[in-house]
Amino acid sequence: MLADVELDLSAGEYVAIMGESGTGKSTLLNLVAGLDRPDAGTIAVGGADLAALDDDALTVLRRERMGFVFQAFHVLPYLTVAQNVALPLALVGTPAGERDARVQAMLAAVGLGERGPSMPRELSGGELQRVAIARALVHSPMLVLADEPTGNLDPDTASAVLALLREQVKGRGAAGILVTHSLAAAGTADRILVLSRGGLRERA
Amino acid sequence: MVPGAALAFPRDHGSHPTFRTEWWYATGWVRTALGRELGVQVTFFRNRPNVAERNASAFAPRQLLFAHAAIADPEHGRLRHDQRASRAMFDLAGADEATTRAWIGDWSFALDGATYRARIPARGFALDLAFDPTQPLLLQGDAGYSRKGPLPHQASWYYSRPQLAVSGSVTIGARREEVAGRAWLDHEWSSEVMAPSAVGWDWIGVNLDDGGALMAFRMRDASGDALWAGGARRGASGTEVFGPRDVRFAPGRRWTSPRTGYAYPVEMAVRAGGEEYSLAPLIDDQELDSRATTGTVYWEGAMRARSGGRPAGRGYLELTGYGAPLRI
Amino acid sequence: MSVAVGDAGAVLRGSLAQNLARTLLAALAIALGVALGLAVQLVNRAAVDELTQGVRTIAGDADLTVRGPRDGFSEQVFARLARDPAVAVASPIVEADVRVAGSPEPLRVLGLDLFRAAAIQPGLFPEGGGQYDALRPDTIFLSNAARARLALDPGATLVLQTGLADVPLRVAGSVPGAGGQRLAVMDIAGAQAALGRFGSISRVDLRVTPGTDVAAFRERLAAELPPGVAVDTPQASLRATESVSRSYRVNLNVLALVALFTGGLLVFTTQALSVVRRRAQFALLRVLGVTRGRLAALVALEGALIGAGGAAAGLVAGYAVASAAVRFAGGDLGSGFFRGVTPTIAPDPATFAAFFVLGLAAAIAGSILPAREAARASPARALKAGDEETALARLRPPWRGLAVIALGSLLVGLPPVDGLPLAGYAAIAALLIGTLLALPALSTAILARLPSPRDAPSGLALAQLKGAPGQVTVSLAAIVASVSLMVAMAIMVTSFRTSLDAWLVRVLPADLYVRLPASDAGSLSREEQARIAATAGVAWAEFLREDHLLLDAARPRVAVLARPLPESEAAAKLALVGPALARPPGAPPSLWANEAMVDLYGFAPGSVVTLPLAGRAERFFVAGVWRDYGRPQGGVQIDRATYAALTGDDGVTSAALWLAPGADARAVREAVRRALPGGERLEVAQPGEIRALSLAAFDRTFAVTYALEFASMAIGLVGLSSAFGALVLARRREFGVLRHLGMTRGQVARMLAAEGVVTAAIGTGAGLALGAAISLVLIHVVNRQSFHWGMDLAMPWPQLAAFALGVVALATLTAVASGRQAMGADVVRAVKEDW
Repeated sequence: MLADVELDLSAGEYVAIMGESGTGKSTLLNLVAGLDRPDAGTIAVGGADLAALDDDALTVLRRERMGFVFQAFHVLPYLTVAQNVALPLALVGTPAGERDARVQAMLAAVGLGERGPSMPRELSGGELQRVAIARALVHSPMLVLADEPTGNLDPDTASAVLALLREQVKGRGAAGILVTHSLAAAGTADRILVLSRGGLRERA
Repeated sequence: MVPGAALAFPRDHGSHPTFRTEWWYATGWVRTALGRELGVQVTFFRNRPNVAERNASAFAPRQLLFAHAAIADPEHGRLRHDQRASRAMFDLAGADEATTRAWIGDWSFALDGATYRARIPARGFALDLAFDPTQPLLLQGDAGYSRKGPLPHQASWYYSRPQLAVSGSVTIGARREEVAGRAWLDHEWSSEVMAPSAVGWDWIGVNLDDGGALMAFRMRDASGDALWAGGARRGASGTEVFGPRDVRFAPGRRWTSPRTGYAYPVEMAVRAGGEEYSLAPLIDDQELDSRATTGTVYWEGAMRARSGGRPAGRGYLELTGYGAPLRI
Repeated sequence: MSVAVGDAGAVLRGSLAQNLARTLLAALAIALGVALGLAVQLVNRAAVDELTQGVRTIAGDADLTVRGPRDGFSEQVFARLARDPAVAVASPIVEADVRVAGSPEPLRVLGLDLFRAAAIQPGLFPEGGGQYDALRPDTIFLSNAARARLALDPGATLVLQTGLADVPLRVAGSVPGAGGQRLAVMDIAGAQAALGRFGSISRVDLRVTPGTDVAAFRERLAAELPPGVAVDTPQASLRATESVSRSYRVNLNVLALVALFTGGLLVFTTQALSVVRRRAQFALLRVLGVTRGRLAALVALEGALIGAGGAAAGLVAGYAVASAAVRFAGGDLGSGFFRGVTPTIAPDPATFAAFFVLGLAAAIAGSILPAREAARASPARALKAGDEETALARLRPPWRGLAVIALGSLLVGLPPVDGLPLAGYAAIAALLIGTLLALPALSTAILARLPSPRDAPSGLALAQLKGAPGQVTVSLAAIVASVSLMVAMAIMVTSFRTSLDAWLVRVLPADLYVRLPASDAGSLSREEQARIAATAGVAWAEFLREDHLLLDAARPRVAVLARPLPESEAAAKLALVGPALARPPGAPPSLWANEAMVDLYGFAPGSVVTLPLAGRAERFFVAGVWRDYGRPQGGVQIDRATYAALTGDDGVTSAALWLAPGADARAVREAVRRALPGGERLEVAQPGEIRALSLAAFDRTFAVTYALEFASMAIGLVGLSSAFGALVLARRREFGVLRHLGMTRGQVARMLAAEGVVTAAIGTGAGLALGAAISLVLIHVVNRQSFHWGMDLAMPWPQLAAFALGVVALATLTAVASGRQAMGADVVRAVKEDW
């Protein structure tokens, strides 16, 4: 379904990928995340060829070098905001003291410095997506993958969240891929790529 | 039992427990104060099964007692009947050896002085009757030795008390009526009465209007022919004893029981000695179902006897073995 | 586009299939509960009906029945009754359960006066045979059931074994009116002779004369009859007959209802989770205009459908199980309560309807909370992802649970109702329900005290459990219910078995035990006793006489054991509970009562009581209470010399032998059998054999109990795995997120395993505690009130430990397996699911 796709991303580079439904935007993201495997071609993250890695190694790669932002936020309901943000650090084994400090700093960075102990159900949609962004960046990943992060948000909140996402990705020297079909959202990226049946092309 | 041995009274009014069967059989015609005519029957049977002679139990069934009581009531159209059965035990049922006294619970038939008393509080009716002798005993057969078949031991000890004056009361439902009339008592005991080929018998006991008494019977085989017959007639001039050739029963009209389907010759012509009697029942349906006690179904009914076109007397006709062969 | 639609369809179908499987499981649980309940009820009813039919056949159309000691009373009582003007018919009967050569079980022999029985007991009228056969002392008539059981046709010889004597009788015919009763009829005089009971009868059935006031006549008779002979209506003897097995039957019924309760719990689990899963759908329905009431009704209706389907299947299965059980295990289900009965299962509509309604009610009850929950949710909130947990938040009112538990503890102190431990059962229900209600608070409290593990998956697991106590509760309910009931039964049965074993050792101190074959008829004479005592190798012989007295016409007879019991030895020889009291000067002879006598007849230690011995009321001093697992209907022990002096009867029914030093038990056993004519008939056993037999009988009795309990537990565990499966399925998106965040499959599995372990451990722990509490109620309330025997608590630690570990392991495996099933490739795509 997905063919003729070539994309190089450097640190600090933030691109948007647009495309009609069904053109394979999410598949592309899954491939990059190592959750799907391509029938042909290579995908390398930070110099590591994903094809050479087994599922566990891919998982470790994801854990250490990637961050995700989902359309439906997927903030775990039974963890506090701080615990949600701390999850990636916990998974890579960051010591508790350092973890708390980084989480607090991260929350402050997304404007939720006071909301650490709150439960997700107390937060608005925009706040939840900020939590997600904090979770995606707290462990300083190389690559942040955001799949329609504002699909569930109103336009005002959406633009704030997009601004935050861009600021955080670029500010932390990560590369970012923003999948969206909103031109306004895509406009916050450095450049816009369009995915179609013909492949991935720079938007004119 | 041997012929010629003399009966002795009052001892022989009592029971004879060494014999297999014995009965005191009272039948009579009574008239109520309002003029209704009823037939009444009170019978006590004694039976010795001879199966538990050596059992030390107080319940050992050495002697069994059965009692039948019936009222033939034309208004009712059939018999009112009740029956009882018991082994002789404790003082609950028994038959006295010294004189006539047989009882099952509160049913009793006993000789009190010269008077027989029957007390039968039955289901639906009650009899409380006194029977006073007006004539001497009538010893049947040869001084009480009454042959019942071709073989000498096919016989019973048998005496009758005809022309008993009846008084007392008959209660039907809640209605008690004083009654008076005439009755006939048979007392008979034996160990082997019936010839093996006999299936039943016909019997009559008639109190003749002239004060005489007539008894006649025949033993029947399966084809309905007489195996044996006998009887006696006592009149002013003395007693005639009849042998097999003197007695003939000729069945007339038959009545079929709607309950059992058995057909009984309820009208009979009986020749005894030189006389011919024609018998007509008080009511047709005088079938008595005693399967619960003695195990038989028979016809025992009040009847009128006519002779030479004129009423001759009143008595009872007994027809046994018309359904299944009778076993005593 | 078409692909997307197809995907959605597949998801829907898959979800439906998942739901269908769970729904079927819930229906199956209801079916199992209904089937067990119905089967137990049908089998018990059939057995009791046959038993009571037997009583009815024997009592016939009697207005009153006069009964007395098992060995009978004077026949003069009959003569007096028969003469009474208020009596229309009096039918005397000699009755005994007698050993028949070649048959393992005794035969009920009824000696009748046919002329009288014909009027009252037409069902006992013999048929067939020759003239007078029904009056012969050497003939017997068998009911069809007895004829089939004994394989004796008319003409064959049946040998009654009374005492050590053989009484051969000719089978003369049948008793067609006796139905399925195994009994034999003979003439009363013959029966007195055959059983050696001259002068004595067992009962008199009376019909009063029309117009007699039965109640007033009964009172007059009661005053006139000799001590130990009682008059009552046949209904009272029916009650007495029923009461022998009543507690056992009610116990089984309650156990079967527990299975149904567990089934209802499973419906609750299924519906609660299904409501959570469909929360967004329901919210949508609400948005689209469906009222709260309609929504609640919808969920309740689903429960009703599950209940109806399950109950219908359960009726079919229950009937089949009952028929099979009667065919293969007999009507007593192994308990020995209904020996001599060949029941047939009668499918009566009322019972079927009742169990259908019970199944339906259990399912609807299980759906009520989820239905209310579904209706109560705010649609706006419910549409927001991550709101699942609030759905179950309301299942958490901690004080209600504690209040119910407190109520249960109060119920424990209440006396039995109509001889049944209803308050005890209610207490158990209250403890169980209260604990289930208090579970959320309890689990929250426990989880809050657990330290945070370092390991990220375990930490997540714990956080998930802490964050979702409602869902934990749904899983816990099933574990706690099944674990606690299983544990309670295990502790109770172990306590009982241990106490029984200890008791057997205590009451069987001799080296050999000799007794007449189990039979109501016969005893060993003085001379036979002397010969046994003089057998080579026997150092000391102690003889025992067993008698059975009627103290209350509405209760079964009480056993009297007469054996050498000098007061100084009572404490040593009897398994006394409580002190041995010294008889005050001038007090009547001593008597020792078993616990049932204290409960049923108020034979309190220190009181003076009367026993009707040989037709006279004799006074005794209650010098102590002994434990007795053999006679829940009541039993007393007295000194045999006293008994013999009061009754003039020095016959005995059994003997205990102590061997001379060096004597070989087996050799002595044979010598005893050779010591008297007919001695080969004596049952001679070593205490070990008796013990083994008793324990085997015990295990047989509890086999059905175990089976029922196991069924309940199986339902509970199925519910548990179903709950886990549903929960895991509901969390597919969460797993997808965790996979994105970098958790390996192994870590997710570990997380689920940790959740499983913690949940199961809490559930098992609570179940163990609750089970122990329930077992105390079973031991000290239910058993004591049902069977009137005490027992000492004995904990089956190894079994409990193994059981607890097993449940935890099973729960863990279930969790992991559910996780594996939920962790297919599409878990990744599940992050896109958004209703």
